[in-house]
Amino acid sequence: MTPILSARGLAWRVAARRGTPGTTIVEGVSFDLHAGEFVALMGRNGAGKSTVMDLLAGLRRPHEGAVRLDGRSLQDWTAPARARRIAHLPQAVRGASPMTAAEIVMMGRYAHAGGWRPSVADRAAVAHAMHECGCARYRDRPLLTLSGGERQRVLLAACIAQEPAVLLLDEPSTFLDVDQQLQTFALLRDTVARGGACIAVTHDINLALTFCSRVIVLAERSIARDMDARTAAADDGWLGAFSPRLRRIAVSEGQSWVAYR
Amino acid sequence: MSSYESHRGLRWIAGTAALFVGAGLLLPFAGPAPLDLSRVWSRAAPDWPILIHLRLSRTLLGLFGGGALGLAGSLFQTMLRDTLATPYTLGVSTGASLGAVVAIALNWHAGSVWGVWAGALAGAALVLLVVSGAASWRREASAVTLLLAGVAMNSVCSALILLVLGLSGVSQTFSIARWLIGSLDAIAYVPLAAFMAIVSGCAVMIVGRAREWNLLSLGEAWAGTRGTDVPRLLRFGYLGGSVMAALTVAVTGPIGFIGLMVPHLIRVRVTADDRVVMPCAFFLGGALLASCDALGRVLLAPAEIPAGAITACVGGPYLVWLVRQRT
Repeated sequence: MTPILSARGLAWRVAARRGTPGTTIVEGVSFDLHAGEFVALMGRNGAGKSTVMDLLAGLRRPHEGAVRLDGRSLQDWTAPARARRIAHLPQAVRGASPMTAAEIVMMGRYAHAGGWRPSVADRAAVAHAMHECGCARYRDRPLLTLSGGERQRVLLAACIAQEPAVLLLDEPSTFLDVDQQLQTFALLRDTVARGGACIAVTHDINLALTFCSRVIVLAERSIARDMDARTAAADDGWLGAFSPRLRRIAVSEGQSWVAYR
Repeated sequence: MSSYESHRGLRWIAGTAALFVGAGLLLPFAGPAPLDLSRVWSRAAPDWPILIHLRLSRTLLGLFGGGALGLAGSLFQTMLRDTLATPYTLGVSTGASLGAVVAIALNWHAGSVWGVWAGALAGAALVLLVVSGAASWRREASAVTLLLAGVAMNSVCSALILLVLGLSGVSQTFSIARWLIGSLDAIAYVPLAAFMAIVSGCAVMIVGRAREWNLLSLGEAWAGTRGTDVPRLLRFGYLGGSVMAALTVAVTGPIGFIGLMVPHLIRVRVTADDRVVMPCAFFLGGALLASCDALGRVLLAPAEIPAGAITACVGGPYLVWLVRQRT
C-alpha cells in the first residue's frame, strides 16, 4: 500500500548569521503515513515538532530530503490541489479577526469552492464540521470575542470542513477544557477510522495513548521513537525522554496510565 | 450566516456603487460659476465646456483616484495585518511624491503637467524595484519583509523631499508645498482615460481575489494551507496596490485619510469580509474624494481649498469618533 504522506531524510536548519553558526532543528526525519493512522507527534519544547509539521504541510521547504504526497513530491502540487489533500492547523493564528466563526470555518472550503458564493456542499460541510467540533452555538460571533478554547474549536472545524485526506494539527488540544480535549481526540479517531490519516502534536501522553494508533517521539533533532500505541503503552523506556518524573501504571489489559511523581 | 450571504453586504455594495455613480452625475454641476442648464443642453459656451472639460474630468479623476486610494488602503491593511496601513505605507507613493517634487524643483512642470507625472512615475518605479528586491532577498516574500522595506524607503524618500525642499527657490518651494497637500485639477481626457483604465483593471483583479485576502487575515500559515500560494499572492497585492496608489499620487499629490478612513468605516459598520470591504472601499473612496473636491470648489469660491486639506479635516475627527464608538 502506498503511503498517503511520506517523509525521507528531512532536514531543516536556521540560517547562520554573522557571528553565530547555523542551528540544525531537525535532520534525517523519515517515516510513512498510511490511511487509517492517527499519529501523536511528541517531544519536548524545541524538539522540532512544529518544524516537521510545517515541512509536511509544505509551509517550509526542507533543506534536505523530500516529502511526497500520494507518491508525488509536495513541490509539484498546486496550492489548492494540496489543500484538498492536506489541512494544517497552525500552532497560532492571528486571533484578533472580526470575522465570524462561520466565516472562518467557510475558509476551509476555499480550495473546493469555485465561486464567491458557497455551494450547497460547502454549506453542508461547514454546518457538519461546526456541529462536530461543538462550535455551532456561536457561529455568528466574531473570532476576536471568543475565548481561546472556543477559537481553537472554530479553527479545528475549518480544518475538518476542508475534508482533507491528511489532518496535520499542531497542538489541537491547547486551550481546550478536559471534556473538549477528549471529544476532539475521539472525533479525530473516528474521522481517521472513516478514511484518511491524522498527525497531532500533543504534550498529553495519556491523551495520545488513549486515542492514537501510533506515537512518534522527536528528540535530539530526529525521530527517537516510532512505535504503535500498544507498544508504547507497554513500555517504560521512552517516558524518560519527556521527564524523569513520569511513571507508567498498568490499569487493565493493554491499557496504561502515566502518572506524575 | 455570513454577511455576504445575508445580503447585507450586497446591499452595501449596491448602495456605495449608486453613490459613486450619483456623485459622477451630480458633482460636475457644483462649482464657483453656476451653470445654466439650458445652455448646457444646447452645448453652448461657456457652460458646456466648463462642465465637460473642467468639472466632469475633475470629478472622474476624483472618483477613480479616491477609489484607488480606498481599495489600496483596504488591501494593504489586510495584507500587512496592520490597521494603520495606508496606500502610502509601502513607500511607493512617497517615492512618487519624491519624483514629483524633484520634477517641480527642476522646473519640469513649467510647460505641462507631464513633467511632474513622469517624475512621479519614475520615483514610484524606483521604490517598487528596491522594496520588492529587498523583500525577495530572503527565499520567500512575507508581509513583514515588505513592511520593513517599505517603511524604510518611506523614511528615505521623506527625508529627500525635505532636502529638495530646502535646496529649491521660493517659487518652487511654494509649488512643492501646494502639491504635497494633494488636490484635484482638470485633466485632459487621454491621460484620464489611461488612468481610469489602469485603475479599473487593477481594481477588478484585486477585488477578484477577495477570498484569498480573507484567508490572509488570519496569517500566512493559515492562508498557505487553505490553498493559496502566499508569496505569489503578496507579490501580486504589492504590485497591484502600488500601481494604483502611485498613479493616483502622480496625478493628484498625496491625498491623505481616504485610504485609512474608508476601509475602517466599512469594517466597523458592515463586515470585515473583503468581498464586501474591497468593492465598498473603492466606491465610497471615490464618492468621498469627488465630494470633498466639490466642497473645496464652492466653500470659499472663487478661492479653492485643496481636496487633500478637506479629506484630512473631515477624516481625522471622523476616525476618532469611529474608534470611540467601537470600544
